[in-house]
Amino acid sequence: MTTKNIGKPQDRVDGKLKVTGRAMYPGDRRMENLAYGYLLTSTVAKGSIRAMDTSGAERTRGVLAVYTPFNPLKLYRGLDSSEGANSGEIQPPLQDARILNYGQIIGLVVAESFEQARDAAALVTTQYDEDNPVASWETGMENAFTPEAVGGESATIKILSEGVSSIDDAIKDSPVVLDATYREPIYHHNPMEPHATTAVWQGDRLTIYDATQGVVAQRLDLAAVLGIDEDMVRVLCPFVGGGFGCKGSMWMFSPLTAAAARALGRSVKTILTREQMFTLVGHRPALIQRLTLGAKPDGTLQAVKHDVRSTVSFSKVFVEAAAHRTSRLLYKSTNIQVSQTLVPWNVGGPTFMRAPGCAPGMFALECAMDELAAKLRIDPIELRIKNNAEVFPGKNVPWSSKNLVECYQLGAQKFGWSKRNPEPGAIRDGDWLVGMGMASALYPAHRSQASVKVRLQADGTAEVSSATQDLGTGTWTVLAIVGADSLELPIEKIRPELGDSALPHAPTSGGSTSVASVTPAIQRAAESAKRKLIQFVLRDKRSPFFGMRAEDVVYRDGKIEGGGKSADFGSVLTAIGRGAVEAVEMAEPGEEEQKYAFHSFGAQFCELRVNRWTGEVRLQRITSVMDIGTVVNLKAARSQIIGGIVFGIGMALLEGSVLEEKTGRYGNANFADYLVATNADVPYVDVYFIDKPDTIFNPLGARGIGEIGITGMPAAIANAVYNATGNRVRDFPILPEKLLPLGLNQPAISMALR
Amino acid sequence: MRPFTYESPSSVLEATNPGHPDSAFIAGGTTIVDLMKLEVMKPPKVVDLNALPMRGIEMSPDGLRIGALEKMSDTAVHPEVAANYPVISEALLKSASAQIRNMASIGGNLLQRTRCGYFRDVNTPCNKREPGSGCPAIGGENRMHAILGTSSSCVATHASDLAVALVALEASVRLQSGASERLLTLDDFYLLPDGTPHQENQLLPGELITEIRVPRLPWATRSTYLKIRDRESYEFSLTSAAVALDVNGDQIRDARVAVGGVGTKPWNLPEVREALTGKPLTLETFVAAAKLAVAGAVPLKHNAFKIDLVQRTIIRALIKLGGLA
Ligand SMILES: Cc1cc2nc3c(=O)[nH]c(=O)nc-3n(C[C@H](O)[C@H](O)[C@H](O)COP(=O)(O)OP(=O)(O)OC[C@H]3O[C@@H](n4cnc5c(N)ncnc54)[C@H](O)[C@@H]3O)c2cc1C
Repeated sequence: MTTKNIGKPQDRVDGKLKVTGRAMYPGDRRMENLAYGYLLTSTVAKGSIRAMDTSGAERTRGVLAVYTPFNPLKLYRGLDSSEGANSGEIQPPLQDARILNYGQIIGLVVAESFEQARDAAALVTTQYDEDNPVASWETGMENAFTPEAVGGESATIKILSEGVSSIDDAIKDSPVVLDATYREPIYHHNPMEPHATTAVWQGDRLTIYDATQGVVAQRLDLAAVLGIDEDMVRVLCPFVGGGFGCKGSMWMFSPLTAAAARALGRSVKTILTREQMFTLVGHRPALIQRLTLGAKPDGTLQAVKHDVRSTVSFSKVFVEAAAHRTSRLLYKSTNIQVSQTLVPWNVGGPTFMRAPGCAPGMFALECAMDELAAKLRIDPIELRIKNNAEVFPGKNVPWSSKNLVECYQLGAQKFGWSKRNPEPGAIRDGDWLVGMGMASALYPAHRSQASVKVRLQADGTAEVSSATQDLGTGTWTVLAIVGADSLELPIEKIRPELGDSALPHAPTSGGSTSVASVTPAIQRAAESAKRKLIQFVLRDKRSPFFGMRAEDVVYRDGKIEGGGKSADFGSVLTAIGRGAVEAVEMAEPGEEEQKYAFHSFGAQFCELRVNRWTGEVRLQRITSVMDIGTVVNLKAARSQIIGGIVFGIGMALLEGSVLEEKTGRYGNANFADYLVATNADVPYVDVYFIDKPDTIFNPLGARGIGEIGITGMPAAIANAVYNATGNRVRDFPILPEKLLPLGLNQPAISMALR
Repeated sequence: MRPFTYESPSSVLEATNPGHPDSAFIAGGTTIVDLMKLEVMKPPKVVDLNALPMRGIEMSPDGLRIGALEKMSDTAVHPEVAANYPVISEALLKSASAQIRNMASIGGNLLQRTRCGYFRDVNTPCNKREPGSGCPAIGGENRMHAILGTSSSCVATHASDLAVALVALEASVRLQSGASERLLTLDDFYLLPDGTPHQENQLLPGELITEIRVPRLPWATRSTYLKIRDRESYEFSLTSAAVALDVNGDQIRDARVAVGGVGTKPWNLPEVREALTGKPLTLETFVAAAKLAVAGAVPLKHNAFKIDLVQRTIIRALIKLGGLA
C-alpha cells in the first residue's frame, strides 16, 4: 500500500464522460421495442377514487395500455428496513382506490412515445369521493403518536444526574434558561436528475436501469413488489445525477413500470416530471423543535432538553431523529433529555434527506446555543468549548477520534472571528447590516459490510469493482484512488466498476457510508489478489519466478520482484497464459463498535449582509473546518462540503415546500417557485480539513463526508442574521418579510412607514 | 400538449390574416411552449413570428424604438438603451436567466402570462384560464400575489419586469392587424382584471405588437430598476421599482415611478411622481411620496408584507438615484 494518491486533489475519472454527455443515466437508455410510461397522479389528498374514464386516452394514437385501480397490474407490498431493504412506500399503487396524498400514483399510461403517453394521460378524467386532508400542525396534532423507537433507542432518552428527578427540575435549578421553538417546512431533495427507470425483460429475467443510491437493496425491493425471485433481477445504475437521500429507497413507480413492461412484452421507460418529484419520491419532514437549555452563569450546561415533533405520512413511518442525533450527544451537560413525537399528514412518504436528523437538529441546537451565548454574554465558541463532550453522554465511551475544539480554533482563526462584534446590528456598510455567525457541524460515521473484487489483468490494468454507487459524490474516483494505492499502480491503470447489482455487494450509498465501508474491502481484496498472483507465478513453469520460495518473491509497485528478477504483473500473467487473477473480499466493522462512538465534526462560519430597507439576506463568505478523518480525494472532498453548504444556504434562506392546508397540494412544485440557491447566492467558500486518520474506525481512517457539510450551515446563517440585525428568526426559511421591519438601526424615518 | 399546426409567414399582413380564431403567435417560445406543455394554452394553430421584419433598436429625436422581435439580451446591452435608459437595461438583466433572455423577445415579454401557480396548474380552478371557475389564490397560497388592482375574480400579478420600466417611462406599443395600425400607451394597453381576468390587454385576435416606443427623456440617464427577491438571481420579483429622477441641486424637478410584483398590471404611480416633483431631495420627501404607492392596497393572507416592502423598495431606489445613501 502506498499513499501516492490518497489525499491529493484528483480529477474525477468519470468527469470526461459526464461533461461530454456520454455517461448514460437510467433515463438515457434507449433500446429496440422501447415504450414510454407516464404516471397519472391524484388531484385530491384524501378520499377514494369513484371512477376513472380512460376511454379518450385509450383511443389516442400510440397508446398501448392505461393501467388504473380499475385495470391494475398486480403488485405486492414493499419491504421496510427491518426486512433488509427499504421501500419508500410500503403499499403498492393501483391495488385499491384509496387516496392518501395529493400526487399519489393512480395510473400509468404506456405509449409508443413519451409525448403520446403524456398527451393521453391528460385525457384521463377521474372522479373522487373527497375528504378533508390533514396538512397542517393544527389538524395533525390529534393523530400525533410516539414512535416505537428512534434509531434503535427509546423515543425519549433521559440522561439525568444522580438525585435529579426530571429534566424539568434540572431546568428549574438552572440560573440561566433559554427556551426557544424552531420551525421548518417540508424540504424536497430535488436532485438535478429526476427519478427514472427503464425495465427490460428477457423471459423471466428483469434488467432494470434505475436511478438509485443502492442497487442491491433496490433489487431486493423490486423483486418483493413484483413477486419474483431476487436472482431474476439485475439493477444497473452506474451514474446518478444527485440523490441526497431520495434515491436511497425504492419508489413504487419503478416496479409499476417493470410490471407494465412484463404485461406488454415491451421495454418500458418512465421518467418523473419535476412536479411528480414532490409527491412520489420522499421529502424531509416538517419539524417543530423546542429547545430548553439550562446553564450556570459561566456557561456550564446543566440541562439540555430537546423535544421534536416531525411529520410522517399516513402510509409510512419515518423518524427525522433531530434530537437523538444531536442534542443527545454534542455537549456534555449534566442532564439531557431528548424526545420525539410523530404527526401524520396526508403527504407522500417521507424519507432521509442529506444529513437526516442532524441538519434540522443542528439548526435548533446551534441556534439555541447562540441564543444562550448572547444571553450569558459569552462568546459562542467559548460556550461550545466549555461544554465540549469528551465521552459520549450516557454511554461513557470515547470517540474513536474527535478534534472538534481544533475545528473551532482553526475556523475562528481562518475566518477572522475575533473581528466579530457581539453587539447585534453594530456593523454597517452603507444600507447593509453586516453580521457573522458560526455553528458546530456533526454527523455520525457509519460503516457496514461491503465486498469488493480486485482483478489484476494481463494487459496490466486492474479492475476494482463493487455494487456500490456514485451519486455524483466521487465513488468512481475513490475506487480508482484506493485501488491504485492498494495495488501500487498509477490511477490510469485502474478500471473501476460500480452501480451493478451483479457485482460483489456493498451497502446503499446513504448516510455517508460508501467510502468508509468499501475502501477497507478494496484494501483486503488487493492484498488477496497480490497473494494469489504470487502463488500463480511460483507454480507455473512459464513464469520467470517458477520454483522460487514464496517469501523471496514480493509484489511492489505493480511488479513482481524476487531472485534478482523483476517483471510487471501484466507481462507475467501473459507469460503464464492467464487473463487475470482475481479476489473478492468482504470487510465489516468489528468490536470497536461497542467500545467507541464514531462521529465527524466541524465548525462553520459565515459573514452575510441584510439590507436594512428591504430585508434580503446575502452571504458574503463562508469558512468551514471539517474533522472527517482521512481525506481520500481533496478535490471531491471540498466539493462535497461545498455541496452541503449550498444545501444549508437553501435550507436557511430559500427552500421550503408550500403545502396548502386546505388541499394538501404543494403550491410550489417546480423549480421556478421552489427556490434552490443559484451561483449568485453562494459566496466564496473556504474549506479546511483537520485530516487526522481515524484508524479505529477503519484501516484507511476515512469517515464519510457527504452530509456533514450541511449540518452547521443553517444555524450559522441564522446566527449571523441575528448578529447583523438583532432579529432571531426561528422559522425557516428566513424570508425578507420575517426580518421587516428591522429591529435595529432603523432610521427614524423608516419607523414612520409602519 | 395538444396537437397543433404550425406556420411561419414572412409578412405581417400574412401573419395577422385571421385564420383560426384561437391561433397563437410564437416568438421566443419561452412562455408559450411552457404553457402548452402544461396544457394551460391549447392553440390549434401556432404562427411563428421569427421570419417577420419586426426588428431593430434605434434612437431618434422622438425617443427609442424597439422592434418586437428583438431579444431581451440584445436589448439589455444595446448601447443606446444602456446609456439613455438604464432602467430598461437593468429591468431586463434582472429578468429570468441568460439562456432565457437569449431566446425571449421584447414583444413576448410584454405578453407573458402571470406566474400564479393556480393559473399554471390545470387541475385547479382559475378565472383567468377558465372564466367563472373561481380563484383559489384568494384563499390559498398568495405570498407572490398582487395587492393593487385586484378583484374578487383575480389577484395574479403581471410578471414582466420590463413592462414596469416601460410603464414608468410612458412607453407605447404599436399594434398591427392586417393593414390597420394603432399606437397605445402601455399603461392603457394592459387591463385590470375586474370580472374578466382572462382579458389581460387590448390586443385583438390576430393582432401583433410590432414595436415599442419609448418617449425621449434625457434625464432618464438617472434611472434604475430595483428588484427585491428571495434569491439573488433567476426569480420573479417580490416587489420592484422602476424609478427615474430629474434632480436640480437639492430639488427634485421631475420623476417617474412604477412598481412591479404588487399589481395585477405593471403599476404606474403618477401620484408618487407628483409628490416628488418640486420637492427637496430628502429622505422625508421619499418616504412621504412612497406612502402614496399603496393607497387602496388590499392585502391577502400571505402577502400583506408587500404593502411595507414596496414602499421600502421605492425609497431605496430613490436613495440610490438621489445619492443619499
Ligand atoms: C423560468 C423563467 C423565469 C423567468 N423570469 C422572468 C423574470 O424574472 N422577469 C421577467 O420579466 N420575465 C421572466 N420570464 C418570462 C420571460 O421573460 C418571457 O417568457 C419571455 O419574455 C417571453 O418572450 P418570448 O419571445 O419567449 O414569448 P413567447 O413565449 O414566444 O410568447 C409569449 C406570448 O406572447 C405572444 N406574442 C409573442 N410575440 C408577440 C407579438 N409580437 N405580438 C403579439 N403577440 C406576441 C405569444 O402568442 C404568447 O402568447 C421568465 C420565464 C421563465 C421561463
